[in-house]
Amino acid sequence: MSKRAVDAVFQGLYLLTDIRGILRDTVPSHTLSDKQKQEAEKIIGKLEKQISVLKEELLA
Amino acid sequence: MNCGEGIDTRQIDELYINLDPIQAGGRLTTDAMKAVLAYGDGYSVCDHCNKPFRLDYISKPPLAEFHKDLAAFVNMDTARLVPGARRGFQAVADALVKPDDPVLLTAYSHYTEFISVEQARGTPFEIPADESHIITKDAAADRIEEVIRTTGKKPALMFVEQVDYQYGNLHPVADIIKVAHQYDIPVLCNGAYTVGIMEVDGKALGADFLVGSGHKSMAAPAPSGVLATTNEWAETVFRTTRVKGDLTGRTFGIKEVEMMGCTLMGVTSVGMMASFPHVKKRVKEFDSQVKYVNQIVDALLSIEGTTVQSEYLRKHTLTRMNTTESFDKIAKTHKKRGFFLTSALKERGITGILAGSTRVWKFNSYGVTEEQAKYVADAFVDIAKAEGLSCSS
Repeated sequence: MSKRAVDAVFQGLYLLTDIRGILRDTVPSHTLSDKQKQEAEKIIGKLEKQISVLKEELLA
Repeated sequence: MNCGEGIDTRQIDELYINLDPIQAGGRLTTDAMKAVLAYGDGYSVCDHCNKPFRLDYISKPPLAEFHKDLAAFVNMDTARLVPGARRGFQAVADALVKPDDPVLLTAYSHYTEFISVEQARGTPFEIPADESHIITKDAAADRIEEVIRTTGKKPALMFVEQVDYQYGNLHPVADIIKVAHQYDIPVLCNGAYTVGIMEVDGKALGADFLVGSGHKSMAAPAPSGVLATTNEWAETVFRTTRVKGDLTGRTFGIKEVEMMGCTLMGVTSVGMMASFPHVKKRVKEFDSQVKYVNQIVDALLSIEGTTVQSEYLRKHTLTRMNTTESFDKIAKTHKKRGFFLTSALKERGITGILAGSTRVWKFNSYGVTEEQAKYVADAFVDIAKAEGLSCSS
């Protein structure tokens, strides 16, 4: 069992959902404000970390 | 892109401003979308279901607390989750209406309110609306008198909509309920378009039963809803089972008959619960939504020949327009016929109005931001000008 991998999957899905929320909030142009861009950048950074965890847990 | 064989990925709310009359208030919050990911499996809330084995007793996830919070949210004594407002209507009608009992509804009652009366074998009588499309207390009183006179029976129940689905008008429910109570008629207030959208105080309204829709107005997955009542009626509508198997002798604990035992055993209840903190907050911001819908309506009214059939100024975001003398005139000669309007809106990233509608149509702007409201308002005027309709400034 890799609880760490399972956590990374859910955390990744939740982070993607946060991005989905930003897309919904900014329809139809998807033009992000500076604050939204900062938020998106932070989310994407966290998402990359979760992908690294998945690589470590499942592919190493 | 498919999410299953032959099932297209739905991206409406990620790509468009969605003005669909029935979808706006049910759009999920991000927390609800996360809950859907985690609790999509069938009986997902039942992992920690212990004695007495009923949904409103489960403490992990905190459904027991959620039931109490829901009752407090609408200021009623007790509440149950139901699979949609219609199942709330059904439960109350089944508990209160006997065959051939007269039941009062209104000219704007939803078909499921009628069907719940039909299922209980009651006889429906409608309270008419006035010329402003409002159900008044006087009309209610007149109809009560008439029904008693013609049937010889007091109505067993009255349904009244706080905001109706046809015009999105706000009806004087407290006044109507006061009249009904003078005749000892219990009243179910249909809050499908209000609970979760605006602040609703069931006790202040005097409602005996208050029904809300999770998927219509509480940012929850379908089918979900809430049925709340008072201590006076709780034992009637939430009566527990007494049946016994004649061979096995089995009994069924404290399952509630009208609820058919447990109701929302998975993603629906958790989705509703995940959105709830946001819903509690958003009802306090309803004034902004009313301001935005009035901006959109004002833009539409600036188009020559356009009228609003709902009450104006708007008090709710669900709105019925009449563009027979504006957009429909264009439709008569446009190569896309009646589809030109929804097509032009879609090109601008706006959807949700019934395709092909250019005469009488509804929209619901609930949930738009200030920028989006301006964008929608400008889009209608742009389309009108592009088609040669004159618009006042």
